[in-house]
Amino acid sequence: MSKSSLFNGFKTLVAKHYGSNTGKMLIHTGVIGWILSSAAQVAAIVINDKIPKEQKMYLIPQEIADAAVNIVSFYAITQTFSSVAKRLVTSGKLLPKSVKDWMSVKGLLGKIGNSTSDIYKAGLSASAKKRLDMFKEGIDVIGTTAGSILSCNIVTPIVRNEIAANRQKTGIAKLNSGTESVSNINSVSHKREFIARPSMQNFTNSSYLKI
Amino acid sequence: MTNLSINSINGAARSVTGAVIRAVPEVTVNYKRANKTIAWIGKKISSPQNRLILGVSALLSQPFIDLNNRKVDEDTRKISAARTVAKIIAGTLTGVAIRAGCIKAIDAFSKLPAQLKNVKNPKLKTLFTPEAALNGVLKDLTHYKKALGTIISLVVMTFTNFLIDAPLTKFLTNKFVDKIHEKDKAKVVKLQTNKEVAHE
Repeated sequence: MSKSSLFNGFKTLVAKHYGSNTGKMLIHTGVIGWILSSAAQVAAIVINDKIPKEQKMYLIPQEIADAAVNIVSFYAITQTFSSVAKRLVTSGKLLPKSVKDWMSVKGLLGKIGNSTSDIYKAGLSASAKKRLDMFKEGIDVIGTTAGSILSCNIVTPIVRNEIAANRQKTGIAKLNSGTESVSNINSVSHKREFIARPSMQNFTNSSYLKI
Repeated sequence: MTNLSINSINGAARSVTGAVIRAVPEVTVNYKRANKTIAWIGKKISSPQNRLILGVSALLSQPFIDLNNRKVDEDTRKISAARTVAKIIAGTLTGVAIRAGCIKAIDAFSKLPAQLKNVKNPKLKTLFTPEAALNGVLKDLTHYKKALGTIISLVVMTFTNFLIDAPLTKFLTNKFVDKIHEKDKAKVVKLQTNKEVAHE
Protein backbone atom coordinates (compact mmCIF):
# COMPACT_ATOMS: atom_id res chain seq x y z
CA MET A 1 0.00 0.00 0.00
CA SER A 2 1.42 3.43 -0.96
CA LYS A 3 1.99 6.24 1.54
CA SER A 4 -0.71 8.39 -0.05
CA SER A 5 -3.36 5.66 0.09
CA LEU A 6 -2.40 4.95 3.73
CA PHE A 7 -2.84 8.65 4.50
CA ASN A 8 -6.18 8.73 2.68
CA GLY A 9 -7.27 5.61 4.55
CA PHE A 10 -6.38 7.27 7.86
CA LYS A 11 -8.37 10.41 7.00
CA THR A 12 -11.37 8.29 5.94
CA LEU A 13 -11.13 6.30 9.18
CA VAL A 14 -11.14 9.49 11.31
CA ALA A 15 -14.05 10.95 9.31
CA LYS A 16 -16.04 7.71 9.58
CA HIS A 17 -15.57 7.15 13.31
CA TYR A 18 -15.44 10.68 14.70
CA GLY A 19 -17.09 12.78 11.97
CA SER A 20 -20.29 13.10 13.96
CA ASN A 21 -19.43 11.85 17.44
CA THR A 22 -17.50 14.12 19.80
CA GLY A 23 -18.09 11.96 22.89
CA LYS A 24 -16.54 8.89 21.27
CA MET A 25 -13.58 10.97 20.08
CA LEU A 26 -13.02 12.38 23.59
CA ILE A 27 -12.96 8.87 25.10
CA HIS A 28 -10.70 7.35 22.47
CA THR A 29 -8.22 10.25 22.37
CA GLY A 30 -8.27 10.30 26.18
CA VAL A 31 -7.26 6.63 26.25
CA ILE A 32 -4.59 7.20 23.57
CA GLY A 33 -3.34 10.16 25.63
CA TRP A 34 -2.97 7.99 28.74
CA ILE A 35 -1.24 5.24 26.72
CA LEU A 36 1.26 7.66 25.12
CA SER A 37 1.89 9.37 28.44
CA SER A 38 2.51 6.03 30.18
CA ALA A 39 4.63 4.72 27.32
CA ALA A 40 6.79 7.84 27.57
CA GLN A 41 7.27 7.21 31.31
CA VAL A 42 8.27 3.59 30.71
CA ALA A 43 10.58 4.60 27.86
CA ALA A 44 12.19 7.17 30.16
CA ILE A 45 13.15 4.38 32.55
CA VAL A 46 14.25 1.97 29.82
CA ILE A 47 16.63 4.47 28.18
CA ASN A 48 17.92 5.94 31.45
CA ASP A 49 21.50 4.68 31.94
CA LYS A 50 21.64 6.07 35.48
CA ILE A 51 19.12 3.52 36.76
CA PRO A 52 20.72 0.13 37.61
CA LYS A 53 19.37 -2.93 35.79
CA GLU A 54 17.93 -4.52 38.95
CA GLN A 55 16.02 -1.31 39.76
CA LYS A 56 14.68 -1.22 36.20
CA MET A 57 13.30 -4.73 36.67
CA TYR A 58 11.27 -3.39 39.58
CA LEU A 59 10.38 0.05 38.18
CA ILE A 60 9.17 -0.95 34.70
CA PRO A 61 6.40 -3.33 35.92
CA GLN A 62 5.50 -0.70 38.55
CA GLU A 63 5.04 1.97 35.85
CA ILE A 64 3.06 -0.46 33.67
CA ALA A 65 0.79 -1.37 36.61
CA ASP A 66 0.14 2.31 37.34
CA ALA A 67 -0.57 2.94 33.66
CA ALA A 68 -3.09 0.09 33.67
CA VAL A 69 -4.92 1.68 36.65
CA ASN A 70 -5.07 5.02 34.82
CA ILE A 71 -6.19 3.63 31.50
CA VAL A 72 -8.73 1.09 32.78
CA SER A 73 -10.37 3.48 35.23
CA PHE A 74 -10.55 6.25 32.61
CA TYR A 75 -12.02 4.00 29.93
CA ALA A 76 -14.43 2.12 32.19
CA ILE A 77 -15.89 5.22 33.85
CA THR A 78 -16.08 7.55 30.86
CA GLN A 79 -17.42 4.79 28.58
CA THR A 80 -20.16 3.99 31.12
CA PHE A 81 -21.12 7.66 31.53
CA SER A 82 -21.17 8.22 27.77
CA SER A 83 -23.19 5.05 27.20
CA VAL A 84 -25.74 6.01 29.88
CA ALA A 85 -26.04 9.56 28.50
CA LYS A 86 -26.66 8.37 24.93
CA ARG A 87 -29.09 5.64 25.99
CA LEU A 88 -31.11 8.08 28.11
CA VAL A 89 -31.86 9.98 24.91
CA THR A 90 -32.27 7.07 22.48
CA SER A 91 -34.62 5.24 24.88
CA GLY A 92 -36.75 8.38 25.13
CA LYS A 93 -36.22 8.80 28.88
CA LEU A 94 -34.57 12.19 28.41
CA LEU A 95 -35.93 14.38 25.64
CA PRO A 96 -36.22 18.04 24.64
CA LYS A 97 -39.76 19.44 24.87
CA SER A 98 -40.04 20.11 21.13
CA VAL A 99 -39.41 16.44 20.23
CA LYS A 100 -41.64 15.14 23.01
CA ASP A 101 -44.49 17.42 21.92
CA TRP A 102 -44.09 16.32 18.31
CA MET A 103 -44.21 12.66 19.35
CA SER A 104 -47.25 13.34 21.52
CA VAL A 105 -49.11 14.93 18.58
CA LYS A 106 -48.24 11.99 16.33
CA GLY A 107 -49.28 9.50 19.03
CA LEU A 108 -45.83 7.91 19.18
CA LEU A 109 -45.16 8.25 22.91
CA GLY A 110 -46.13 4.61 23.52
CA LYS A 111 -43.15 3.50 21.45
CA ILE A 112 -40.55 5.03 23.77
CA GLY A 113 -39.65 5.29 27.45
CA ASN A 114 -38.52 1.78 28.35
CA SER A 115 -35.09 0.18 28.51
CA THR A 116 -35.41 -1.58 25.12
CA SER A 117 -37.03 1.18 23.08
CA ASP A 118 -35.21 3.11 20.36
CA ILE A 119 -36.57 6.54 19.48
CA TYR A 120 -34.83 6.51 16.10
CA LYS A 121 -37.01 3.54 15.08
CA ALA A 122 -40.21 5.30 16.14
CA GLY A 123 -40.65 7.18 12.85
CA LEU A 124 -39.25 10.66 13.51
CA SER A 125 -39.57 13.41 10.91
CA ALA A 126 -36.35 14.85 9.45
CA SER A 127 -36.59 18.08 11.49
CA ALA A 128 -37.40 16.21 14.74
CA LYS A 129 -34.46 13.88 14.07
CA LYS A 130 -32.15 16.86 13.52
CA ARG A 131 -33.26 18.48 16.81
CA LEU A 132 -32.84 15.16 18.62
CA ASP A 133 -29.35 14.63 17.11
CA MET A 134 -28.20 18.03 18.39
CA PHE A 135 -29.66 17.32 21.84
CA LYS A 136 -28.10 13.83 21.94
CA GLU A 137 -24.67 15.17 20.95
CA GLY A 138 -24.82 17.73 23.78
CA ILE A 139 -25.94 15.15 26.37
CA ASP A 140 -23.18 12.78 25.18
CA VAL A 141 -20.48 15.47 25.60
CA ILE A 142 -21.85 16.37 29.06
CA GLY A 143 -21.87 12.68 30.09
CA THR A 144 -18.36 12.04 28.75
CA THR A 145 -16.97 15.15 30.44
CA ALA A 146 -18.62 14.22 33.76
CA GLY A 147 -17.14 10.71 33.45
CA SER A 148 -13.68 12.12 32.71
CA ILE A 149 -13.88 14.42 35.74
CA LEU A 150 -14.92 11.56 38.01
CA SER A 151 -12.26 9.16 36.73
CA CYS A 152 -9.28 11.55 36.30
CA ASN A 153 -9.88 13.82 39.27
CA ILE A 154 -11.48 11.66 41.93
CA VAL A 155 -11.27 7.88 41.42
CA THR A 156 -7.76 7.62 39.92
CA PRO A 157 -5.98 9.91 42.46
CA ILE A 158 -7.61 8.04 45.38
CA VAL A 159 -6.72 4.61 43.94
CA ARG A 160 -3.16 5.76 43.13
CA ASN A 161 -2.62 7.20 46.61
CA GLU A 162 -3.86 3.94 48.09
CA ILE A 163 -1.52 1.84 45.91
CA ALA A 164 1.47 4.13 46.58
CA ALA A 165 0.86 4.03 50.36
CA ASN A 166 0.62 0.23 50.29
CA ARG A 167 3.84 0.00 48.27
CA GLN A 168 5.57 2.25 50.78
CA LYS A 169 4.34 0.03 53.63
CA THR A 170 5.45 -3.16 51.89
CA GLY A 171 8.85 -1.62 51.16
CA ILE A 172 9.37 -0.63 54.78
CA ALA A 173 8.23 -4.07 55.97
CA LYS A 174 10.68 -5.76 53.60
CA LEU A 175 13.47 -3.46 54.74
CA ASN A 176 12.73 -4.33 58.37
CA SER A 177 12.70 -8.07 57.62
CA GLY A 178 15.91 -7.71 55.58
CA THR A 179 14.57 -9.47 52.49
CA GLU A 180 15.03 -6.65 50.05
CA SER A 181 18.22 -5.16 48.67
CA VAL A 182 18.99 -1.67 49.93
CA SER A 183 18.87 -0.08 46.48
CA ASN A 184 15.30 -1.27 45.89
CA ILE A 185 14.12 -0.35 49.35
CA ASN A 186 15.36 3.19 48.86
CA SER A 187 13.18 3.41 45.82
CA VAL A 188 9.98 2.41 47.57
CA SER A 189 10.36 3.69 51.10
CA HIS A 190 11.85 7.07 50.34
CA LYS A 191 9.88 9.85 51.96
CA ARG A 192 9.65 11.66 48.63
CA GLU A 193 7.93 8.76 46.93
CA PHE A 194 4.68 10.71 46.66
CA ILE A 195 6.44 13.74 45.27
CA ALA A 196 8.55 12.16 42.57
CA ARG A 197 8.84 8.49 41.78
CA PRO A 198 12.39 7.12 42.18
CA SER A 199 12.81 6.70 38.44
CA MET A 200 11.80 10.27 37.91
CA GLN A 201 13.99 11.57 40.73
CA ASN A 202 16.96 10.16 38.84
CA PHE A 203 15.62 11.36 35.53
CA THR A 204 14.79 14.81 36.95
CA ASN A 205 11.33 14.39 35.55
CA SER A 206 7.90 13.82 37.00
CA SER A 207 5.49 10.97 36.63
CA TYR A 208 1.80 11.10 35.62
CA LEU A 209 1.87 14.12 33.43
CA LYS A 210 -1.44 13.55 31.70
CA ILE A 211 -1.36 14.75 28.12
CA MET B 1 -5.70 -2.95 26.57
CA THR B 2 -6.50 -6.40 25.26
CA ASN B 3 -9.70 -7.17 23.34
CA LEU B 4 -10.88 -9.26 26.27
CA SER B 5 -10.60 -6.40 28.78
CA ILE B 6 -12.19 -3.92 26.34
CA ASN B 7 -15.08 -6.35 25.81
CA SER B 8 -15.53 -6.93 29.54
CA ILE B 9 -15.48 -3.16 30.23
CA ASN B 10 -18.00 -2.59 27.43
CA GLY B 11 -20.15 -5.44 28.80
CA ALA B 12 -20.08 -3.92 32.29
CA ALA B 13 -20.91 -0.49 30.82
CA ARG B 14 -23.91 -2.01 29.02
CA SER B 15 -25.16 -3.67 32.24
CA VAL B 16 -24.84 -0.43 34.21
CA THR B 17 -26.54 1.48 31.38
CA GLY B 18 -29.46 -0.97 31.33
CA ALA B 19 -29.90 -0.73 35.11
CA VAL B 20 -29.79 3.09 35.03
CA ILE B 21 -32.28 3.31 32.14
CA ARG B 22 -34.72 1.04 33.98
CA ALA B 23 -34.36 3.02 37.21
CA VAL B 24 -34.65 6.64 36.07
CA PRO B 25 -38.00 8.30 35.41
CA GLU B 26 -38.83 10.05 32.13
CA VAL B 27 -37.56 13.62 32.03
CA THR B 28 -38.44 16.35 29.55
CA VAL B 29 -36.20 19.39 29.20
CA ASN B 30 -38.81 22.12 29.00
CA TYR B 31 -36.79 25.31 28.96
CA LYS B 32 -35.81 26.59 25.52
CA ARG B 33 -32.64 28.08 26.93
CA ALA B 34 -31.58 24.77 28.50
CA ASN B 35 -32.17 22.95 25.20
CA LYS B 36 -30.18 25.61 23.33
CA THR B 37 -27.32 25.29 25.84
CA ILE B 38 -27.24 21.49 25.48
CA ALA B 39 -27.15 21.77 21.66
CA TRP B 40 -24.44 24.45 21.93
CA ILE B 41 -22.32 22.18 24.16
CA GLY B 42 -22.58 19.37 21.61
CA LYS B 43 -21.55 21.66 18.78
CA LYS B 44 -18.85 23.77 20.42
CA ILE B 45 -17.23 21.76 23.22
CA SER B 46 -14.34 19.67 22.02
CA SER B 47 -11.01 18.45 23.32
CA PRO B 48 -9.39 21.84 24.29
CA GLN B 49 -12.47 22.88 26.27
CA ASN B 50 -12.77 19.38 27.71
CA ARG B 51 -9.10 19.53 28.82
CA LEU B 52 -9.70 22.99 30.37
CA ILE B 53 -12.76 21.72 32.28
CA LEU B 54 -10.74 18.71 33.46
CA GLY B 55 -7.89 21.01 34.59
CA VAL B 56 -10.12 23.42 36.51
CA SER B 57 -12.04 20.58 38.20
CA ALA B 58 -8.72 18.86 38.96
CA LEU B 59 -7.57 22.01 40.80
CA LEU B 60 -10.77 21.87 42.84
CA SER B 61 -10.42 18.21 43.82
CA GLN B 62 -6.95 16.65 43.57
CA PRO B 63 -4.99 18.89 46.01
CA PHE B 64 -7.63 18.18 48.66
CA ILE B 65 -7.39 14.43 48.04
CA ASP B 66 -3.61 14.68 48.57
CA LEU B 67 -4.00 16.89 51.65
CA ASN B 68 -6.41 14.35 53.19
CA ASN B 69 -4.29 11.27 52.49
CA ARG B 70 -3.89 10.17 56.14
CA LYS B 71 -1.56 7.33 55.18
CA VAL B 72 1.41 9.69 54.82
CA ASP B 73 2.90 12.35 57.11
CA GLU B 74 1.87 16.02 56.99
CA ASP B 75 5.00 17.22 55.20
CA THR B 76 4.58 14.64 52.43
CA ARG B 77 0.91 15.59 52.11
CA LYS B 78 1.72 19.28 51.63
CA ILE B 79 4.52 18.68 49.12
CA SER B 80 2.40 16.15 47.28
CA ALA B 81 -0.46 18.65 46.97
CA ALA B 82 1.98 21.35 45.80
CA ARG B 83 3.31 19.04 43.09
CA THR B 84 -0.22 18.08 42.07
CA VAL B 85 -1.18 21.76 41.65
CA ALA B 86 1.98 22.43 39.62
CA LYS B 87 1.35 19.38 37.46
CA ILE B 88 -2.26 20.40 36.79
CA ILE B 89 -1.31 23.99 35.87
CA ALA B 90 1.50 22.87 33.53
CA GLY B 91 -0.52 20.05 31.97
CA THR B 92 -3.63 22.15 31.46
CA LEU B 93 -1.79 25.13 29.94
CA THR B 94 0.14 23.03 27.42
CA GLY B 95 -2.74 20.59 26.85
CA VAL B 96 -5.26 23.29 25.99
CA ALA B 97 -2.82 25.37 23.90
CA ILE B 98 -1.50 22.45 21.85
CA ARG B 99 -4.93 20.93 21.23
CA ALA B 100 -6.36 24.31 20.15
CA GLY B 101 -3.29 25.04 17.98
CA CYS B 102 -3.39 21.67 16.22
CA ILE B 103 -7.14 21.94 15.55
CA LYS B 104 -6.58 25.41 14.07
CA ALA B 105 -3.74 24.11 11.89
CA ILE B 106 -5.86 21.19 10.65
CA ASP B 107 -8.70 23.63 9.95
CA ALA B 108 -6.44 25.68 7.67
CA PHE B 109 -5.59 22.64 5.55
CA SER B 110 -8.99 20.86 5.49
CA LYS B 111 -10.98 23.08 3.17
CA LEU B 112 -14.09 21.91 1.34
CA PRO B 113 -14.20 22.20 -2.49
CA ALA B 114 -16.68 25.09 -2.16
CA GLN B 115 -14.13 27.08 -0.13
CA LEU B 116 -11.41 26.86 -2.78
CA LYS B 117 -12.46 29.70 -5.11
CA ASN B 118 -9.55 32.14 -5.69
CA VAL B 119 -7.37 30.23 -3.26
CA LYS B 120 -3.64 29.84 -3.94
CA ASN B 121 -2.30 26.30 -3.71
CA PRO B 122 -5.61 24.43 -3.39
CA LYS B 123 -3.85 21.07 -3.06
CA LEU B 124 -2.17 22.22 0.15
CA LYS B 125 -5.43 23.67 1.46
CA THR B 126 -7.10 20.26 1.06
CA LEU B 127 -4.17 18.25 2.45
CA PHE B 128 -6.23 16.92 5.37
CA THR B 129 -9.65 16.97 3.65
CA PRO B 130 -11.04 13.41 3.56
CA GLU B 131 -12.01 11.93 0.20
CA ALA B 132 -15.68 11.80 1.18
CA ALA B 133 -15.66 15.60 1.52
CA LEU B 134 -13.78 16.12 -1.77
CA ASN B 135 -16.41 13.97 -3.49
CA GLY B 136 -19.17 16.04 -1.94
CA VAL B 137 -20.54 13.20 0.23
CA LEU B 138 -19.45 14.76 3.52
CA LYS B 139 -20.54 18.38 3.85
CA ASP B 140 -19.69 19.27 7.46
CA LEU B 141 -16.12 18.77 8.64
CA THR B 142 -16.46 20.45 12.06
CA HIS B 143 -16.18 17.27 14.16
CA TYR B 144 -13.67 15.66 11.78
CA LYS B 145 -11.27 18.62 12.04
CA LYS B 146 -11.51 18.61 15.83
CA ALA B 147 -10.90 14.86 15.98
CA LEU B 148 -7.91 14.93 13.61
CA GLY B 149 -6.46 18.00 15.36
CA THR B 150 -6.77 16.22 18.70
CA ILE B 151 -5.06 13.06 17.37
CA ILE B 152 -2.17 15.14 15.95
CA SER B 153 -1.92 17.07 19.23
CA LEU B 154 -1.46 13.78 21.13
CA VAL B 155 1.62 13.00 19.06
CA VAL B 156 2.96 16.53 19.63
CA MET B 157 2.28 16.26 23.37
CA THR B 158 4.27 13.03 23.66
CA PHE B 159 7.32 15.28 23.14
CA THR B 160 6.14 18.44 24.89
CA ASN B 161 5.31 16.29 27.91
CA PHE B 162 9.06 16.06 28.48
CA LEU B 163 10.17 19.31 26.88
CA ILE B 164 7.63 21.68 28.50
CA ASP B 165 5.36 19.98 31.07
CA ALA B 166 8.07 18.25 33.10
CA PRO B 167 10.42 21.27 33.53
CA LEU B 168 7.47 23.62 34.09
CA THR B 169 6.03 21.25 36.73
CA LYS B 170 9.42 21.08 38.44
CA PHE B 171 9.78 24.88 38.39
CA LEU B 172 6.28 25.48 39.78
CA THR B 173 6.63 22.70 42.38
CA ASN B 174 9.86 24.28 43.68
CA LYS B 175 8.15 27.69 43.88
CA PHE B 176 5.18 26.26 45.80
CA VAL B 177 7.42 24.17 48.10
CA ASP B 178 9.54 27.25 48.90
CA LYS B 179 6.35 29.12 49.80
CA ILE B 180 5.22 26.24 52.06
CA HIS B 181 8.60 26.16 53.81
CA GLU B 182 8.58 29.94 54.26
CA LYS B 183 5.11 29.74 55.82
CA ASP B 184 6.19 26.87 58.10
CA LYS B 185 9.27 28.82 59.19
CA ALA B 186 7.17 31.92 59.92
CA LYS B 187 4.82 29.75 62.00
CA VAL B 188 7.71 28.34 64.06
CA VAL B 189 9.17 31.83 64.64
CA LYS B 190 5.74 33.12 65.72
CA LEU B 191 5.28 30.20 68.11
CA GLN B 192 8.72 30.78 69.63
CA THR B 193 8.05 34.52 70.02
CA ASN B 194 4.72 33.78 71.71
CA LYS B 195 6.44 31.33 74.09
CA GLU B 196 9.11 33.88 74.97
CA VAL B 197 6.48 36.57 75.60
CA ALA B 198 4.55 34.13 77.82
CA HIS B 199 7.73 33.36 79.84
CA GLU B 200 8.42 37.05 80.38
